[in-house]
Amino acid sequence: MWRKEVREQMVDPVTVEVIRHALIYASEEMGVVLRNTAFSPNIRDRLDHSCAVLTPSGDLLAQAEHIPVHLGSMPVGAKNLVRYLEKEGEELGPDDVVLTNDPYISGTHLNDLMVLKPVYVGDKLVALVANKAHHVDVGGAVPGSIGGGAKLLLEEGTVIPPVKIVENGELRRDIVRLIQANVRTPRYFQGDLMAQIAALRLGEKRVRELAEKYGAEALLEAWSEILGYTERYTRNRLVELVEKHGKAGVYEAEDYLELSSGELARIHARVEITRERIRVDYTGSHSQVDEPLNAVYGVTVAATTYALKSVIDPDMPMNHGFYRVVEIHAPRGTIVNPEPPAPVGGGNVETSQRIADVVLRALADAFPDKVPAASCGTMTNVTVGGRAWAFYETIGCGTGARPCCDGVDGVHTNMTNTLNTPIEVIETEYPVLFKAYELRPNSGGAGKYRGGLGITRAFTVLEEATVTVFSERYRLRPWGLRGGKPGQSSHHYVVRANGEKIELGAKKTIVLRPGDTVYINTPGGGGYGDPCQRDEQLILQDLEDGKITLDHARREYCYTPETKQSTKK
Amino acid sequence: MARRIGADIGGTFTDVVGFDDESGEILHLKVLTTPREPWRGLIEGIEKLGWALDSVEIIVHASTIGTNTFLGQVGLRLPKAVLLTNEGFRDVLEIGRQNRPELYNLFFQRPAPLVPRSRRIGVRGRIGPDGSELEPLDENQVRRIARQWCREAEVFIISFLHSYRNPSHEHRAKQIIEEECPGAIVVTSYETDPQPKEYERTSTTVVNGLFKPLLARYIERVVEELRRRGFRGKFLVMQSSGGVAGSDEATRYPAAFIESGPAAGAVAVAHFSKLMGIGKALGFDMGGTTAKASTVVNGEPLVVQEYEVGGRVHMGRLLRGSGYPVRYPYIDLAEVSAGGGTIAWIDPGGALRVGPVSAGAEPGPACYGRGGTEPTITDANYVLGRLSDELAGGRVKLHRDLAEKALAKLAEKLGMDIVELASSIIRISNTVMARGLRLVSVERGHDPREFSMYAFGGAGPLHAAALAAEIGVREVIVPPLPGVFSALGLLVTDYRHDLHKAVVKRADEVSEEELERIYSELEQEATQMLVSEGVKQGDIRITRLLDMRYLGQAYELIVPYRGNIAEAVEAFHEKHRARYGYDMRGEPVAIVNARIVAIGAIPKPRLPRSEPRPYRPEPRRTRRVFFEETGWVDTPVYWRLELRPGAEIEGPAVIESDESTALVPPGFFASIDSFYSIHVRRQ
Repeated sequence: MWRKEVREQMVDPVTVEVIRHALIYASEEMGVVLRNTAFSPNIRDRLDHSCAVLTPSGDLLAQAEHIPVHLGSMPVGAKNLVRYLEKEGEELGPDDVVLTNDPYISGTHLNDLMVLKPVYVGDKLVALVANKAHHVDVGGAVPGSIGGGAKLLLEEGTVIPPVKIVENGELRRDIVRLIQANVRTPRYFQGDLMAQIAALRLGEKRVRELAEKYGAEALLEAWSEILGYTERYTRNRLVELVEKHGKAGVYEAEDYLELSSGELARIHARVEITRERIRVDYTGSHSQVDEPLNAVYGVTVAATTYALKSVIDPDMPMNHGFYRVVEIHAPRGTIVNPEPPAPVGGGNVETSQRIADVVLRALADAFPDKVPAASCGTMTNVTVGGRAWAFYETIGCGTGARPCCDGVDGVHTNMTNTLNTPIEVIETEYPVLFKAYELRPNSGGAGKYRGGLGITRAFTVLEEATVTVFSERYRLRPWGLRGGKPGQSSHHYVVRANGEKIELGAKKTIVLRPGDTVYINTPGGGGYGDPCQRDEQLILQDLEDGKITLDHARREYCYTPETKQSTKK
Repeated sequence: MARRIGADIGGTFTDVVGFDDESGEILHLKVLTTPREPWRGLIEGIEKLGWALDSVEIIVHASTIGTNTFLGQVGLRLPKAVLLTNEGFRDVLEIGRQNRPELYNLFFQRPAPLVPRSRRIGVRGRIGPDGSELEPLDENQVRRIARQWCREAEVFIISFLHSYRNPSHEHRAKQIIEEECPGAIVVTSYETDPQPKEYERTSTTVVNGLFKPLLARYIERVVEELRRRGFRGKFLVMQSSGGVAGSDEATRYPAAFIESGPAAGAVAVAHFSKLMGIGKALGFDMGGTTAKASTVVNGEPLVVQEYEVGGRVHMGRLLRGSGYPVRYPYIDLAEVSAGGGTIAWIDPGGALRVGPVSAGAEPGPACYGRGGTEPTITDANYVLGRLSDELAGGRVKLHRDLAEKALAKLAEKLGMDIVELASSIIRISNTVMARGLRLVSVERGHDPREFSMYAFGGAGPLHAAALAAEIGVREVIVPPLPGVFSALGLLVTDYRHDLHKAVVKRADEVSEEELERIYSELEQEATQMLVSEGVKQGDIRITRLLDMRYLGQAYELIVPYRGNIAEAVEAFHEKHRARYGYDMRGEPVAIVNARIVAIGAIPKPRLPRSEPRPYRPEPRRTRRVFFEETGWVDTPVYWRLELRPGAEIEGPAVIESDESTALVPPGFFASIDSFYSIHVRRQ
């Protein structure tokens, strides 16, 4: 019956649809401005940022994200920020911009600086626009601010509680200088911040144009319709899954993170699908840890959302309305919803991957034809830096093999999709020289369909530098499915200029001298199905391409040229 | 001898247009593309025009096939190639930028690398970022590779790190291969695309290298067939940059030809807007399955410097990583899935959606009566009275009952009546198309209020006025023959060569003398190319440009260079402010590339023209048409060919011709200018 009511309202459904699209375009356009004007390779080349339009109370309306970890963490972050401002009695004027990187508010980690701006029409607040971007360095013990053995949030870098970085239209240069004094790359910080603010201004302009056209009141009404639309979409999909495809049920899975002590930290997910809702419960997961592997709630929401959306309906629209149907419960004080002052730097780069793995594994029981074997399960964060420079990158790997076909070689998987920074750009801007950037033979898990190959990336530093490697899947390999073998684990090491070799394990910070070379080998994806059933043509192709060796083919794929030929016809 | 012919090979049809400069006659026809041997369809189409080929001065050839089809359907097999890279970097081509084209698709595929891993070989030797040699090239290894692969490989492609700074290793490797394997085609990255970013440069070189022998053979065949039929004129090849090149130059950058057809529409807009003295124009081309938008400023179409051959487009934007990157100027087109055949549907959230699926040419819209049952944009237009019962001079008869039946299914589910639904379909499709227009205008920093919009393609003139209001352009211009307007672009295209050289320095570290040297080298090269194509010195026009950015940014803005670096830096600050809303004076500015655009003018066809004399024409009849603002109105219908320059028509009105229908909504006003174009403005 509320459908009837809608009819009486001043905004008709078609106008709502028009406005809904306009908001999606506006957030994309904000992202283009941010990318094109940013200074650090991390944003401009790798696109580690996202932009959004929200209701005055901080409910997400539309978002343009380039990497899934921003999806889901943005709505949590924006909502937290609005609540914080209310609690502190801070009012945002029409020409104010607020900035924060407090992970317990913004919903990711210190490197993600989040800015938010109100959009007023006259004296009426009609919307908020916000964006987040990963700054290459925010201070702390190690260049790049991720890893490095931090036990407390404070050790990871500079915490910026919500501050008005623009007040009455004026950039607060004193605050900019304060932050610049606490980071290793002050020029990048300012360039990227300016880009973030420029993107907000553009978003504001687009929302105002909509208000001019349809009226502020009509917009506010459209917001609730837009949220209602996503809610209906999600509900209808759910009803279809349960009634048509019989997917109701409880599905559980678990997997582990590798702590620096050698201990494993469990993540457990229980996914319950009913006609009315999907509930994902992380009860049973490890308690929070004193190393930067804790995932703040925003990250847990992001990873859960990613897995659900990818399996159930990749085209599902995404805004606050989705969370009226999907409930995500993560007990406080656990590794998937820590309390301050736990360090969280690796939460959205590593723990998020494992959360996605666990939910995908649980869904594999409900949707056997829609879930691949495990992808490599790590973003392999590498940070190099010296006195006044820092360079950060994440390195691709293999995706899990799929029910239809092989995994993809050398690519970013699940929660990230950042681009690499071109070697020619890195070498021009930083004192490093690359030795290799290649696929890693034999690293894909064997199966009827082979897991994707990991990557070998190696570089020599030309002056003294600190390198931090922060990765996963060193001890536990990416799992295969339905008889497929696990992918090869990661293997990182340093070869000193004098030839000495030092193993780095999964997580390590090490000071390098000129001429030392770092070798990064990322994991392959898990295999799918019985390796002995792999099509001989595919094996021959892999052999020809050097993606597997003959030895590996014999050992893992029951391959002997003679028997295969004789059994063929 | 004043006839010229344009031919565009598409995936399904080959479009041929002919123009006779003396009589002003324009002929246009379509024949089926002959996938295995595309030249056959081309020749067939040209012969069908019925002109003696010795009376034809110029033939311009374009392609809208798209790479995938080019490889698959056209049945061309890529030549066997070997790619030489630095040792340790042979997978740069396969890893690409390490991203996947879609975020939430667990079953995504990346395009297969154009040179398989087994034929990508790492060679010892290394140039550093400053151009110094860090390790000498292993010449013996190159020699061994050349010998080993000489018999099997037709093409050798060389791409080494930092070759844009110091090409000596690539140059030497090329020499060695040519010595060891005479006759092989050897393509280097420093000659193809001398600028940083190893993946993009390698990919550009590979795509061009692979297509080189294919295109050379193909063009040779076409020209031979034409000559045999008496053709003695010039054979020109359309480029994605919106220019044409002679056949020799065209084979230097074959990638520029493969998707050159879509540029023609923008070129036509450029030509007409220049003739009419319109500084800022948007092109809006709506056909059966897609709508394309382009921007023309001061008679020059806007170009981007990179695109992906064979890439997929989503909501007007290219999905990065879905195709093969090529750095070559490409007319900036936004393409959205909205054409006459685009289908309306209801999504799981209960919202009415239009596209991206299209009923295409077969079965087509429901009202065509060829078996289509899904409601399309054309069905919506028809039900609203905007189309007459017969299209294309009576060749297509529309069936009202079928259109209504198709719409009724959806209307019932949404609780709307048919008319309300049809009008909603038009509104939503206009939103989708407005996005395309915004992508090429607002997102490029232009204010649509300063623009005139050229509407063409079969369905363009029907939607243009509403779109103009939606995005706020000044006026709509419907050119004569909107149905073949795009093809006309082939006949008004100039020679064009784009050349560039990497600078990669801070602006305050570059001297004007240094730039002068680079520019004069580039200009000499371009002038030679044009002269060898038969262009007279006096018809050559060269523009100098600089790619600039703030030191630290990754995306350049292109500004004109007039011999003064300080002036160019100032122009950059201004452009940055106009585009992004701020500048950072005081921050160092980097000069990345010096580029030139060299244009060789080609004589243009003369179009009919006469002085406008204001008058009010008589409508042929009236018809009831639905408009959102007014509901059903008795609307006068005019026959376009009867309208003379100076005709003035107040909306609501419909102006029909065989190939296209223009809509003048209530509150709009139409007039015919001296070129027989319709101008539609808000009153």
